Amino acid sequence: MEKKILLIEDEEIMIDLLRRKLIQEGYNVSIARDGEEGLKIMKKIMPDLILLDIIMPKMGGFEVMEEMQKDKKLAKIPVIVISNSGQPVEIDKAQKLGAKDWLIKTEFDPQEVIDKIKKQIK
Amino acid sequence: MSEKKITEEEFQRIKEDLEDLEKYIEELFKFLPLAICTLNPLRIIIDVNQAFRDLTNYKVTEIIGEDIKEIFSEKKKIKNLIDNVQKKEKPLTKELTLITKEKKDIPVSVSAATRKDEKGNLIGYFLAIFDITEIKKFRESLEKKVKERTKDLEESRTALMNILEDIEEAKRKAEEERDRTNIIITNFTDGLLVFNKENKLSLINPQAKIFLKVKSEEKIIGKSINELNFLPNFKKLIKLLGKEMKGIFRQELSLSKDLILEITTVPMLRDEIKFGTIVILHNITREKLIEEMKTEFVSLAAHQLRTPLSAIKWTLRMLLDGDLGKITEEQRNFIEKTYRSNERMISLINDLLDVTRIEEGRYLYKPILTDLSIVVQFVVNSYQEEARRKQINLEFIKPKEKLPEIKIDVEKIRLAIQNLLDNAIRYTNPNGKVTVSLKYDKLKKEIELQVKDTGIGIPDDQQKRIFSKFFRAANVMRMETEGSGLGLFITKNIIEAHKGKIWFKSKENYGTTFYVTLPVKKEFEEFLKKF
Repeated sequence: MEKKILLIEDEEIMIDLLRRKLIQEGYNVSIARDGEEGLKIMKKIMPDLILLDIIMPKMGGFEVMEEMQKDKKLAKIPVIVISNSGQPVEIDKAQKLGAKDWLIKTEFDPQEVIDKIKKQIK
Repeated sequence: MSEKKITEEEFQRIKEDLEDLEKYIEELFKFLPLAICTLNPLRIIIDVNQAFRDLTNYKVTEIIGEDIKEIFSEKKKIKNLIDNVQKKEKPLTKELTLITKEKKDIPVSVSAATRKDEKGNLIGYFLAIFDITEIKKFRESLEKKVKERTKDLEESRTALMNILEDIEEAKRKAEEERDRTNIIITNFTDGLLVFNKENKLSLINPQAKIFLKVKSEEKIIGKSINELNFLPNFKKLIKLLGKEMKGIFRQELSLSKDLILEITTVPMLRDEIKFGTIVILHNITREKLIEEMKTEFVSLAAHQLRTPLSAIKWTLRMLLDGDLGKITEEQRNFIEKTYRSNERMISLINDLLDVTRIEEGRYLYKPILTDLSIVVQFVVNSYQEEARRKQINLEFIKPKEKLPEIKIDVEKIRLAIQNLLDNAIRYTNPNGKVTVSLKYDKLKKEIELQVKDTGIGIPDDQQKRIFSKFFRAANVMRMETEGSGLGLFITKNIIEAHKGKIWFKSKENYGTTFYVTLPVKKEFEEFLKKF
């Protein structure tokens, strides 16, 4: 069975690149372009993993994780944060909200994102 | 940050004032042949002089904090005497019987007077206790020896009067000093609580009353920690302090969303014996708010600056990896070069963001106890390949003995050492040598790191500016155009945030040695743990 990954990200080019890479790796990819849409889609499809940006229109990544914590089923879905920032306070906050990993986009490349995903869902 | 500094200085000054005052009173009281004790408004003994201890045989630690009536046979009379002094507002004297530690009765004459602050509020009492055993004997033998003794007696009375006058003067000076201290405590912007040796609350200043929502002082003064639990804010504070009142240094306590305090306790010691604890409540609500705003700002700045760079990086990477179709060797060449330029831009932005964080103040995030040699070894290892490529001999001379652990933010210190090593290797020509060494100075209690190179050196006329932001030396600019000019600025800030020092010796064309010292400061924490 194909694993389902939900990518919540507002940057078009990042969506393009990651979607391509994820499909190449054999994942079933869904896209949400802001936090609100992300929550809606995850409730519908219950993905195996979520790639989550932090700064987005309408609803940011931290709020998405807060909302997920309120729902028992959603709280179980592993979240990997992909952000352009990465201050220790932010990473701490994300960990407390259940995030499994935090990637700073400029320090990683798409292949490393795939490696991190594989670590979470085998 | 500056606000905090002033507070620490003020606190230090008050502490020194208090110590001076204590010494002063103690010295003054020590030589008086008359037993003197100071009471708080609840008639609890808060200070005694040497003559008092000699008379009663109690040690300071046994008597401070006791009710005054405990040392007199006539418990009601002593209470009445003090009540009358307060009502009639003049010093009174009464003959009573003192009970010493060995339960021996001594006839004494007790003079009592009130202690008042500037506004005329009662802040306690003074008691002068005069042993009249001898006087009584005099009286008994008086009949026999009236004539020959009258003169002597008069003389001793005059002496007594002189002493009492001296005591009045001493009392007035002591009161003045105490009033001054009281005014400082009352107007202090930090909250202050003072607990006595039984951990009972003996003082609370107005600011602490506001923080802890205390309406009436009478209900809480003299209460033990357990009895203070009925106030919700006290409950939270006591949970942090613990019943034993162990030493606490700058711990955060959130009393409500709009009130976050930083708690520090300071033991009050006399001859290394603890006779009380001061609890300092410092309001950091505003600092916390600003900190949050800054985090948000840096996050947004990072987002704005890095987003296009990530997009370029990821696109190029996927092109190079063939994820977007086959590319020719020539295309690969160009893309690789572009990728490297982009990486340089990314590292420049990283430096800039680090600088922003430095200037915000809260730069050290998680200091933990660490063996510095492990951190240095890690950084040296990560540069071995780079050194080999440039044909530079990179060596790490380990300390002979194991270093004491120090509290550092490992990530930041690693960055600092990395910057030094990066410069050393970058600005040393092939066949040169870079040596890193570590040692511990037991006397100064600090660890010294040396990064020595045989590189191009820093020109004399530019040595002063080497740690400035965006500064790059002229010879370096000629050699390589890359570099943000932020490395040493960041390094210096990291080292200074750890209360360390950084300096260098350099000669153009011969090489540079950077020295970094970091203090091993465990004593203060160890000291606090004892209480």
